[in-house]
Amino acid sequence: MKKNDVILIAALLVVALLTAGGMRIWQMNNTKDTANVVVTIDGEVYGTYPLSEDRTERIELPDGSYNILVISDGYADVTEASCPDQICVKHNHIRYSKESIVCLPNKVVVTVEGGKENEIDGSTF
Amino acid sequence: MNNKRIAFLGLFVALAFVLSYIEYMLPLNIGIPGAKVGFANLVVMVALYTVGEKNAIALSLIRVVLVGLTFGNISMMMYSLAGAALSLFAMLIAKKIGKLSVTGVSVLGGVFHNIGQIIVAMLVLETESLIYYLPFLMVIGTITGVLIGFVANLITIRVKRVFRM
Amino acid sequence: MKIKNLKPAIFMGILFIVLIAGILIYRSFAKEKELTRYTATFLDVFDTRTEIVGFAVNKEKFAEDAQLIKDRLIYYNQLYDIYNDYPGVNNIKTINDNAGIAPVEVDPEIIALLEFSIDTYYETDGAVNIALGSVLSLWHRQREIGIADPERAKLPDADALKEASHHTDITGIIIDKEKSTVYLSDPEMSLDVGSTGKGYAVQRVMEYAREKGLNNVLLSLGGNISCIGTRIDGSNFRLGIQNPDVYSDEQYIEMVDINDGECVVSSGDYQRFYEVDGVRYCHIIDPDTLYPSDEFAAVSVITDDSGKADSYSTALYTMSLDEGMAFVKERDNVEAMWVMHDGEKIYSDNFKEKYVK
Repeated sequence: MKKNDVILIAALLVVALLTAGGMRIWQMNNTKDTANVVVTIDGEVYGTYPLSEDRTERIELPDGSYNILVISDGYADVTEASCPDQICVKHNHIRYSKESIVCLPNKVVVTVEGGKENEIDGSTF
Repeated sequence: MNNKRIAFLGLFVALAFVLSYIEYMLPLNIGIPGAKVGFANLVVMVALYTVGEKNAIALSLIRVVLVGLTFGNISMMMYSLAGAALSLFAMLIAKKIGKLSVTGVSVLGGVFHNIGQIIVAMLVLETESLIYYLPFLMVIGTITGVLIGFVANLITIRVKRVFRM
Repeated sequence: MKIKNLKPAIFMGILFIVLIAGILIYRSFAKEKELTRYTATFLDVFDTRTEIVGFAVNKEKFAEDAQLIKDRLIYYNQLYDIYNDYPGVNNIKTINDNAGIAPVEVDPEIIALLEFSIDTYYETDGAVNIALGSVLSLWHRQREIGIADPERAKLPDADALKEASHHTDITGIIIDKEKSTVYLSDPEMSLDVGSTGKGYAVQRVMEYAREKGLNNVLLSLGGNISCIGTRIDGSNFRLGIQNPDVYSDEQYIEMVDINDGECVVSSGDYQRFYEVDGVRYCHIIDPDTLYPSDEFAAVSVITDDSGKADSYSTALYTMSLDEGMAFVKERDNVEAMWVMHDGEKIYSDNFKEKYVK
């Protein structure tokens, strides 16, 4: 290893650390009590569920594969899936805005979306 | 291209294929999509420093297609291809500039492999929130890059000495 | 530093870019049928803010849908207007102008509104009375003066109110459906459809939009909200119920989810009011006392007909809480939420369960 290699590695680690820290601060500041869990399959919205409500949802795909989403105590987690790699199952539970659990084989993405304020379609006067 | 190099390319393709298979059997499952040790990159690294750039590129592309056809599907193949292309792009430039050793080049390869994959996954899944995995993938890419680079260096030295390449 | 032969690197870079471009192009083709959410806002009908939320393949298609709704709203606006004349249109103002003089030939949609309003009068035991125009106009005049210049704000003359109240008999509205005419038999009488007109118009416009095949549409006409279908992803439309305490940090006091055909309206003392000697007088007048109701800060109603939602919210605002609760309970598919002056929310039996998610 040369000196340049060490500089490169250090630089990469610092950049990673800073972006991770910045993102986490942003996430914490942009997660409201009213956050939702949004499930998409291949980019299409499959369902939207409040993060504050405990529930278990079986995400069914047309080809018979599935992911099981559990929302409890303000966390969303994928606890079971039919995919071969099981990365989504192994993934830590999520709770902050824009955190996501991805199942590449099933093309399923579970994302926490900040709050509902901007989701209103209308209001009474 | 002499016969020795052709033989080596064939050998490397077979080796990369087997290593990809091992990786497929024993995935590095830490819950982050796209995170890989990238065993196959070990072979690409060795090829890069022994049989040359063009052969390394050929090896990499052949491996992606073979592995994709055998174990994956079209979208998996696209993730791999994006990772391989961006990683080789970064490694070739770094090698040309010549300021980095095998380890540094390998680290860049690992990091850019992950970046390439995440970009394609973001486009395919239309989920920009995947960008939040980037820091983790950079760290993982760095660690695996160091390991692969270290091993690749040892192998390259021996291959060159034994086979006088 | 010399860097020779970058071709292999450039080749890989190009390969990566081509791959990305390929995915993007493929996506854009696959996406062609996907619908995007659009909103349209305009301020030129019914003297209030209109909002349309819809989903369409592109802006132009949505503009077409919105225009269809808007044209229809303009049509009803002209018919149900009590303040303005329109060339070639006999509207409610024309009927008022001809009170005691002559029957006025009008569009069947005016007769439909009047019949609906008269039914509502009996249903609400007189709490919603479109023949109250003479009383309401006295309040309207003082409110306009009081809002423009708070120094000159005063209450309408009590004797004048009393006198006006003698000309509010709903049976004075003489409808001849065959000839399509309306006649007010009392020359001092006038119609004010403020408590039913907007809601009824929304109901009719949405029925028309539905016939024309529109789906996944939300219409809000000055807070009279109705919808067809759901959002494009199948989730319910979400609405904020305005917090009567308009100075509060919380703009909405409750969120409700509605879908296909469900309608929401709020009536409250924060909407149009003026103050005399520090006391707030709102625009909803109790026909029994001839003075503004002040029991609640706001009442919101959700039901399956926008005309009913509009008139019920006015009616509930003038009733006591017990009367209102009983009124809601007697009816299917009607739920209400009362907001007290201290911000306390009182729900009808199924309101929370059905609409608050």
